[in-house]
Amino acid sequence: MSGRRVDAKVVLLGQEGVGKSSLVERCAHRRFRPGPYQNTIGAAFVAKVMTVGDQTVTLGIWDTAGSERYEAMSRIYYRGARAAIVCYDLTDSGSYQRAKFWVNELQNCEEGCRIYLCGTKSDLLEEDRRKRGVDFHDVQDYADEIKADLFETSSKTGQSVDELFQKVAEDYVNFSAFQVMTEDKAVNLDQRNSPYFYSCCHH
Amino acid sequence: MAADVHKKKSWEVPNGSLAPGDGQHAERSESPTPGLAQGTEPGAGQEGAMFVHTRSYEDLTSPEDGAAVARSPEERRGEPAEQSSMEQISKDFSELSTQLTGIALDLEEEMRPGKEGKLEPSPQTNRRDSVLSGKEEEDVTMDAWRMHRKHVFVLSEAGKPVYSRYGSEEALSSTMGVMMALVSFLEAEKNAIRSIHADGYKVVFVRRSPLVLVAVARTQQSEQEIAHELLYIYYQILSLLTWTQLNHIFQQKQNYDLRRLLAGSERITDNLLDLMAHDPSFLMGAVRCLPLAASVRDAVSSSLQQAKAKSLVFSILLSGNQLVSLVRKKDQFLHPIDLHLLFNLISSSSSFREGEAWTPICLPKFNSSGFFHAHISYLEQEMDLCLLLVSTDREDFFTVSDCKRRFQERLRRRGVHHALQEALRTPFYSVAQVGIPDLRHFIYKSKSSGLFTSPEIEAPYVQEEEKERLLGLYQYLHSRAHNSSRPLKNIYFTGPRENLLAWVTNAFELYVCYSPLGTKAGAINAVNKLMKWIRKEEDRLFILTPQTY
Ligand SMILES: Nc1nc2c(ncn2[C@@H]2O[C@H](COP(=O)(O)OP(=O)(O)OP(=O)(O)O)[C@@H](O)[C@H]2O)c(=O)[nH]1
Ligand SMILES: [Mg+2]
Repeated sequence: MSGRRVDAKVVLLGQEGVGKSSLVERCAHRRFRPGPYQNTIGAAFVAKVMTVGDQTVTLGIWDTAGSERYEAMSRIYYRGARAAIVCYDLTDSGSYQRAKFWVNELQNCEEGCRIYLCGTKSDLLEEDRRKRGVDFHDVQDYADEIKADLFETSSKTGQSVDELFQKVAEDYVNFSAFQVMTEDKAVNLDQRNSPYFYSCCHH
Repeated sequence: MAADVHKKKSWEVPNGSLAPGDGQHAERSESPTPGLAQGTEPGAGQEGAMFVHTRSYEDLTSPEDGAAVARSPEERRGEPAEQSSMEQISKDFSELSTQLTGIALDLEEEMRPGKEGKLEPSPQTNRRDSVLSGKEEEDVTMDAWRMHRKHVFVLSEAGKPVYSRYGSEEALSSTMGVMMALVSFLEAEKNAIRSIHADGYKVVFVRRSPLVLVAVARTQQSEQEIAHELLYIYYQILSLLTWTQLNHIFQQKQNYDLRRLLAGSERITDNLLDLMAHDPSFLMGAVRCLPLAASVRDAVSSSLQQAKAKSLVFSILLSGNQLVSLVRKKDQFLHPIDLHLLFNLISSSSSFREGEAWTPICLPKFNSSGFFHAHISYLEQEMDLCLLLVSTDREDFFTVSDCKRRFQERLRRRGVHHALQEALRTPFYSVAQVGIPDLRHFIYKSKSSGLFTSPEIEAPYVQEEEKERLLGLYQYLHSRAHNSSRPLKNIYFTGPRENLLAWVTNAFELYVCYSPLGTKAGAINAVNKLMKWIRKEEDRLFILTPQTY
C-alpha cells in the first residue's frame, strides 16, 4: 500500500486511547478536540506535505486503531512504512509495554522502518508530576538500544508535535538517498477476488 | 452450526434465485390495485433490484420460522378481518395507546438479583457516560425512561458477559448467570428463539452459537420483533469479527472473554439499538432514499459507476441514514441488513470525518466468513454526504481512494454538486405535500426494490416519546400483519389519538396514520389518493434505475 501519491509511508501504532489520532489531528489541523473519545475504526489515512530545506516531502500518515480486534491485520497498515511512530501514554505503564510489543513486531517484519518512540499527553505531567507512569531514563535506554528517536509530546498544548513530524520528514530526506527502494509486492494473488482472512507474520 | 450456515447460504447468496430477475415487468399501472404484480408497484426498480430479495424481517429469524409464514390465498381488501383478531387488536391497541406513554415500572429493580445487589441503576455510573456525558446530562429523564424499556445483553455460551446495553457487564454478571441457566433450560435445539412473558415484560432469548442474546423488554413489540433486533446485534458483532473468526475463537477457548476483541465497539452497538428504536428502516427491512430529482440522482449514479475499479463490489453514497445512490458489481446484490449495518457504523462514529478511513468490514448476510475493506470518507467537511467504497482487496487503498477523486471530479463536471447540496438542505419531505388533510404520516415499502418512503414525522409527534410511540404503533401493526400463524392483509383501527391502517400485499406494504377525526371510508379513499401520489413522485422518492459497473 505504498502509493504514488506519497513519498514516505508513516504509521502510528500503539494501544487504544494513547492519543494517536489526536497527534495526527494536531499535526494536520493544528487543533485538539477535548470532546468525547472516538476510537478509530480500522485506520485513517492523511497526506501531509512537509518542507525540508528546499524540498517538499509528502508523508502518507496511517493512523491505526489500537483495538486488539485489528491486531491480526495491522501488517497491511505498516508494511512498507519508512517510519513508525510508536505511541504510549506517559501516565500509563501498561501502554508502554504495549509499545514494546509493536517495536518487536516492526523489528521482525519491517527492517527498513525507522522507529520513533512517542510518549503522549505530557501536559498531564505538567499538572501533576506524580502522574508519570513511565520513567524517562528507562525509555531513553530502550530507545538507544533499538536505535529509535524519543519524543514526549502533548497534542493538547502542541508540545514537540511539530518537532516529531519534522524529524520524521528530515530523516526520510537524509536517509532515503542512500537506501535502495524496496517495494513490498507480496500480495497473495489467490485471495484477490474473494473476501479473505488476514494473516500476519506473528500469527 | 456449519450445516446451518450452508443451508442459509443457498438462499442468501447474492445471485441466488430469490433475487428478482430482470425483464419481468408488466406495464406500470397508473392507479395501483391490490392485484399489482410484484415489480410493477410504485418504487419498483425498472432494471432489476439492488438488494437481495427479502421478505421483510421473516428471513432474519430461523428458516423454520420463515417457512411458516402463511401466504393468504387472496386479497380481502375492504372486508373486515376476522372478528376474533379484531377484538384482540382492539384490546392490544388501547393498551398500546395508553401504556406506551405511561411510566414503566423500574425494571432495573426487578432485574436485581437481590436488594443488596451490586447493580448500579444510576445512569451516572454508566460505562458509556464518560463518552456521552454531555448528552446524558441534558437528557437524564429521557434516558431513564428508555433505560427501562429495553435491556439487551449478549453473553457467550459459557456464560461470560459480552455486551450489556446499560450498566457494566461486570456488575451484571450474576444476572447473566441466571440468564445462562434459563437459556440452557429452555434450549432444546440451537439457534432457536425462546421467550418468557411475565407481568408486563417479555424476556426473549436468541441463541446463535457461540453467543446468546437476551432482551428484557417492556415495549409492546412482539417476540419476533424483539428477536429480530437481537439478530441485528448478532450481525453487528459478526460485521466486526466474521462468523468464522468468532467460532474459531470459542473453539480454541470456550470461556474466552470476547470483550477484549470488542473493546471500543460498544458505541456502535448502542447506536444500533437507539437507531432501531426510532428508524423504521429496520422494522421494514428496507432502505430509505434521499428524495432527489431523478436527473440529479442519475448523474450521481453515473459518476459513481464510472469511478470504478477492479476490486470494487459496491459504491454507496449516503446522507444521514438515507441512500443517495448505490452502484454494485454485476450479479452481486447487497442485503438490506448489511446496508443497515453500514449506515449504523457510519452514524455511530465521527472518526470518519477525518481523512480517509480504510477498514476491514464483514457483511454478514453477503458472506459471513471474510472481510471486505471499506474506504469511508465524507465528500466535504460540512456536507452530510458519506461515500463508502467496498473493495475485495485490502492492498488496493490508493486505487480506491483514486475512485473517490474521480467521482468528485465527475460530479463537478456534470454540475450536479449544487443540486445535491440543495437536496441535502431538505432531506425529508412533509406529508402536507400529499394534500390529504387527515393524513399524518405513512410508510410505504416497495417489496421488489427493497426501498421504502416515509415523510418526516411532524406534529403531534414532536416529543421523542411521541415519535417512538408512533413507531411502536407501526411495529404493532407490522407484527399483526406478519403474524406467522394468522397474517392479516388489512387492518384498520380507530383509536382515541389516531386512526391507523395497514395494507400488505405481495407487491407492497403500506402503513398509514390519520388524525382520529376521519372515517374508515375516508381512510380508504385517502389510501387511493396516497398511492397515486407515490406513483407520481416515485422517481424522486425511489431509485428506479439502479446501476452496475
Ligand atoms: N490531556 C491530553 N489528553 C489527550 C492527549 N492526546 C489525546 N488525549 C485524549 O486521549 C483520548 C484518546 O485519544 P485518541 O487520539 O482518540 O486515541 P487513539 O490512540 O487514537 O485511540 P484509538 O483510535 O482507539 O487507537 C481522547 O479523549 C483525547 O482527548 C494529550 O496530549 N493530552
Ligand atoms: Mg485513533
